[in-house]
Amino acid sequence: MTINIILGVSLVLAAAWTVMTARLLRSVIGLALTSMILTIIMFKLNSPLAAVFELSVCAGLISAIFISCISLTQRLTDEQAAAKQKERFSKFWLLPVILVLAGVALYQVHIPLDFHLQAAPSESDVRNIIWNLRHLDMIGQIVILLAGAFGVVALFKD
Amino acid sequence: MLSPLLLLPLLAIIILNLPIRSLTQKLSVWVGIGLSLWQIVAVVLLAMGHESADAWGKYFTLGLSCDNLTLVLLMSIGIVTLATILVGWQTIGGEKQRFGFMNLVFVAMIGMNGTVMLADLFSLYIFIEVTAVASFILIAFQRNTNALEGAFKYIILSATATVMMLLSISIILLVVGDTSFAAAGSAVKQSQGNPLVIVAIGLFICGLLIKGGVVPFHGWLPAAYSAAPAAASVLLAGIATKTSGIYALIRLTTSVFANNESVNSILLLAGTISILVGAFAAIGQSDFKKMLAYSSISQVGYIILALGCGTNLAIIGAVFHLFNHSIFKSLLFVNSAAVETQSGTTDMNKLGGLGTKMPVTNATSLIAFLSTAGVPPLAGFWSKLIIIIALWQNNLHTYATIAVLASVLTLAYLLLMQRKVFFGKVAEGLGNVKEAGWGITTAASILAAITVGVGVTFPWMFNSVLMPISSFLK
Amino acid sequence: MTDSFILLPIAIPFIAGLVVLLIGQRIQSVKEAIALLATAATLGLTITLFRENINFSIPWTGFGIDFALRLYHFSAFILVAASAFSFLFVLYSCSFMRNKPRLNQFYCYLLVTLAMTNGAVLADNLVLLLFFWEGLLLTLFGMIAIGRPGAYKTAIKAFVIVGISDLCLMMGIGLTGHLAGTMTISKISLPTYSLGALAFILMMIGAISKAGSVPFHTWIPDAAVDAPLPFMAFLPASLEKLLGIYLLARISLDMFQLHGNSRLSMLLMTIGAITILLAVMMALVQKDYKRLLSYHAVSQVGYMILGIGTCLPIGIVGGLFHMINHALYKSCLFLTGGSVEKQTGTTDLAKLGGLWLKMPVTFICFVIAAASISGVPPFNGFYSKELIYDAALVRGNIFYLAAILGTFLTAASFLKLGHAAFLGKISEENKNVRETKLPMLVPMVVIAAVCVVFGVWNYLPLNNLIKPILGEERLAGQEFGPNSMLITITVIVLVGALLHHLFAVKVSGSGYKASDHIRHAPFLEGIYTKAEKRWFDPYDIGLKIVQGLSRFGWWIDRAIDWVYEDFAVHIATGLSSIIKRAHTGSYAMYVVWSLIGVLFVIIMLMKSF
Repeated sequence: MTINIILGVSLVLAAAWTVMTARLLRSVIGLALTSMILTIIMFKLNSPLAAVFELSVCAGLISAIFISCISLTQRLTDEQAAAKQKERFSKFWLLPVILVLAGVALYQVHIPLDFHLQAAPSESDVRNIIWNLRHLDMIGQIVILLAGAFGVVALFKD
Repeated sequence: MLSPLLLLPLLAIIILNLPIRSLTQKLSVWVGIGLSLWQIVAVVLLAMGHESADAWGKYFTLGLSCDNLTLVLLMSIGIVTLATILVGWQTIGGEKQRFGFMNLVFVAMIGMNGTVMLADLFSLYIFIEVTAVASFILIAFQRNTNALEGAFKYIILSATATVMMLLSISIILLVVGDTSFAAAGSAVKQSQGNPLVIVAIGLFICGLLIKGGVVPFHGWLPAAYSAAPAAASVLLAGIATKTSGIYALIRLTTSVFANNESVNSILLLAGTISILVGAFAAIGQSDFKKMLAYSSISQVGYIILALGCGTNLAIIGAVFHLFNHSIFKSLLFVNSAAVETQSGTTDMNKLGGLGTKMPVTNATSLIAFLSTAGVPPLAGFWSKLIIIIALWQNNLHTYATIAVLASVLTLAYLLLMQRKVFFGKVAEGLGNVKEAGWGITTAASILAAITVGVGVTFPWMFNSVLMPISSFLK
Repeated sequence: MTDSFILLPIAIPFIAGLVVLLIGQRIQSVKEAIALLATAATLGLTITLFRENINFSIPWTGFGIDFALRLYHFSAFILVAASAFSFLFVLYSCSFMRNKPRLNQFYCYLLVTLAMTNGAVLADNLVLLLFFWEGLLLTLFGMIAIGRPGAYKTAIKAFVIVGISDLCLMMGIGLTGHLAGTMTISKISLPTYSLGALAFILMMIGAISKAGSVPFHTWIPDAAVDAPLPFMAFLPASLEKLLGIYLLARISLDMFQLHGNSRLSMLLMTIGAITILLAVMMALVQKDYKRLLSYHAVSQVGYMILGIGTCLPIGIVGGLFHMINHALYKSCLFLTGGSVEKQTGTTDLAKLGGLWLKMPVTFICFVIAAASISGVPPFNGFYSKELIYDAALVRGNIFYLAAILGTFLTAASFLKLGHAAFLGKISEENKNVRETKLPMLVPMVVIAAVCVVFGVWNYLPLNNLIKPILGEERLAGQEFGPNSMLITITVIVLVGALLHHLFAVKVSGSGYKASDHIRHAPFLEGIYTKAEKRWFDPYDIGLKIVQGLSRFGWWIDRAIDWVYEDFAVHIATGLSSIIKRAHTGSYAMYVVWSLIGVLFVIIMLMKSF
């Protein structure tokens, strides 16, 4: 139980750091960190396949691409970074306030939280589901990839 | 006949992008026109009962389904896509750019066609995303600051919606182990009062409300519609957001949430707020496209309001208004495209007196404006009338009154628009403005003819076309 | 003769109108021929249908709203009148509108207007009535808008004013249908207390504003200047009067149980009296042929409303008789105005004069119509007004006084108009003016002749057309004989008007200035000046004259105007700017809104499940 709470809190903190930090490189590191914590959580939830995907694609591949891309950009000076940081805080100070307010509101309406869910057993293997049962989703994903490619061509290529 | 609606555009994209660009670049527009016309014909054939065996079904397990609601939406998608392609042909310069644009329109078309034909929550999510990704790029197409900002806002809010929908789907998957509409519907029915399921329902509705641009989830919409290139706003405002947000909401409230009263009361409230906020915001706009965007929010409010009413008649009204709205709002955006390309601005304070210079645009915009404001005998009047009658019959007198009064506001802001842009003296520097090219005027004429035609033949339509729509309600 | 023939008076002009719209700009004669044929066919058809009683109904939209039409003596009478007028106006327009731009639109609107009017008159279902009624709103807008450049402003003014009153009619229809439980007009008979009274007032507003009563008249004088002239003769002078008074008579006679001595009856009579006086005061000082006539088109409605408002059989008969008489003489007057405009190129009275030798036929028609409208015996206006006086006197001296004062001022203003336009010295530019062409003369002469026939043989229309509308039992024991005292007073008043005119001409030196002493009367001068500067709408001047409280009236006018123009706009723009300010463009803010929305939705669901 304790370890779950620690993992959950650190996940939120890592994600918040990713968003709030001014330097891109730190942001990427934050993202990788978030992914890694998520991997642990997924693993603990008995989902090794998803955990492996998360670790290899999100934490590994994407971070590598980001870092190689950022290495081509110019580094912020300290003053610029400080100014950016300040601007970001001034933009997002509302979010924690709302979070707290939401918590209070949810507490006030007395939501019954003592329920149990029986997870329905999955009948077939993940691979079978993906490749044999859900062709429609496959088509959708292919089209999303195509759209991404067109986007790169339309927006970044002259 | 269903899977080709999905696979033909995909095939078209693949063939067009084979390394014979010099040939296909020229063809892309004609392929687009052909595809959308074919879709319209296919819908008519389907409606008349020519449902031939699905030849492609042997190779794919797609699980597509089709009822009258789907047909209405497929029809609107076909019509609006046709208009978009005609306008894009005229307004997007450069063969390469146009080619990219057409590809994205095809992607959006696949996304929308898929969205309306499937019967599974997870697939719904994927196809909504297909439409959304195409929309992001279409909004950012011009690559100026405004366009990128509009696209960015849409991405951020759309991502929020995505997270909510995914979370909701995973909860439902956890409860029943399946994501088809039927299974999800039974899960919702069985677990009445289970807080987790309630959260799932709430999150999914909110996700769709964000996609549909309903107040207070509408922040992205004005920026996105006004920053997009003229042709893309026709597609976005006319059908893309209506399919991914509003259609999905209609489908889910009827077949998954099964007219739950708490859901309905939320929809009633959201609809009313949308109508009012959208209308009042539209009055204060000086930008042509921004005003249309807010007007779109207001009109979507009517659909949501009718949906919240929940009776069969109200849902017929909602579907009918969805169709009408996709026609007349695309028409207004086509007209804004004409004005933008010919005069170079959409600031209404700089426009004026274009009525004599652009007679077709003037006349069709007048038709669209009267239809939007609900002036008989145009199509918009009838759908609003049905909605208001349904509300009244269901003893929702306050909502009905607000709906009536808000249509006066609609009349006010659109009259303002018509006066500023088309009537009065010709504004400075617009002396040499000419009528827009034939692509735009053709699109405008087609859409105007549909609005008038549907309105005039309504008495016949009501019994033979509209009442059967309710068959999907079981 | 099958029942579905009843559709033809709607279908023929409508289809013809659409066909005309499609014909190109250059081929004028084809358009004229189609319009003439269509109206002639409609006229012939309505005459053959005249004695029929037909109930026709096909299912339409559901919800008890059928496409129900009912032809009986009242609707048949209006149908014949509307078709006849349309035919004559098309004939007139063939000459008058020749070589004007946007001719196809003009004929299209004219024919569609006829179709819509016929539909509204025949409709036996309130929603169907509303359908045709709103159609008229569109053609009205179009007809004004195709006038001279800049007529859009007037068109929008008319659209807004008529639109607002149509909205009242719409609400009235909704309420009536709700109270009666049916939308079928012939089955409705509602008492007029509490909600029933409200429904009556709402529908009444729709009816009298269509007829052009105060305070819904302000677009008519503007349209007189901006719109094509046959439009004035066609809509405000004849068809709209027929339609508005028809509806008023239907709601007061059939649909609602309206009793004399009730407040509603008092309200109607007051509106009638105010309309008479106010509009005629404005008419008196006009210096333009068409504007002067247009104010009279408003003023005469007052007599009809007053007559029907008395709720006495004699008054209702008078009101309806006045309706048809007014349509006759006022359209004739507008047509003479059109002739003068066509031949001299102006309607400014200062530039006219001495035309009677040059245009004798027009002059004679003018004299007959002017005598009719002033109520000179034995022309038709005299008899209908006499009936109204009779009823007004029973209900209260004040209404009779208003009516007779109206007659005095009407006579005075027509003496002035006739003198300024046709008598006196002819100006240099008009030396070579000739009589108008035959297609324009025929309608004038025909209508003037009918004026005389309806006057001298007044029992013909009364017994055949008007009295059947009320039915035998209502008319039982009613005397329609002449009242010698009233006739004497009328004659004295008319002679007084003549003497007044002669005196004024002597003092001021010309007919053109015959009303200047009223214009410059110490009390009225300021008001008129403000009115001419369009500081406020004319109907408030009437309030002032009636109440003798100039400032108060001005204030009311401003207040009404403010509500119309500023208050609503301010509220809307105020709310609008608040909402606009909330949209800062910051996406973070928008995300926050969405999250608050999500929170709200979830809490609401939790609470209610």
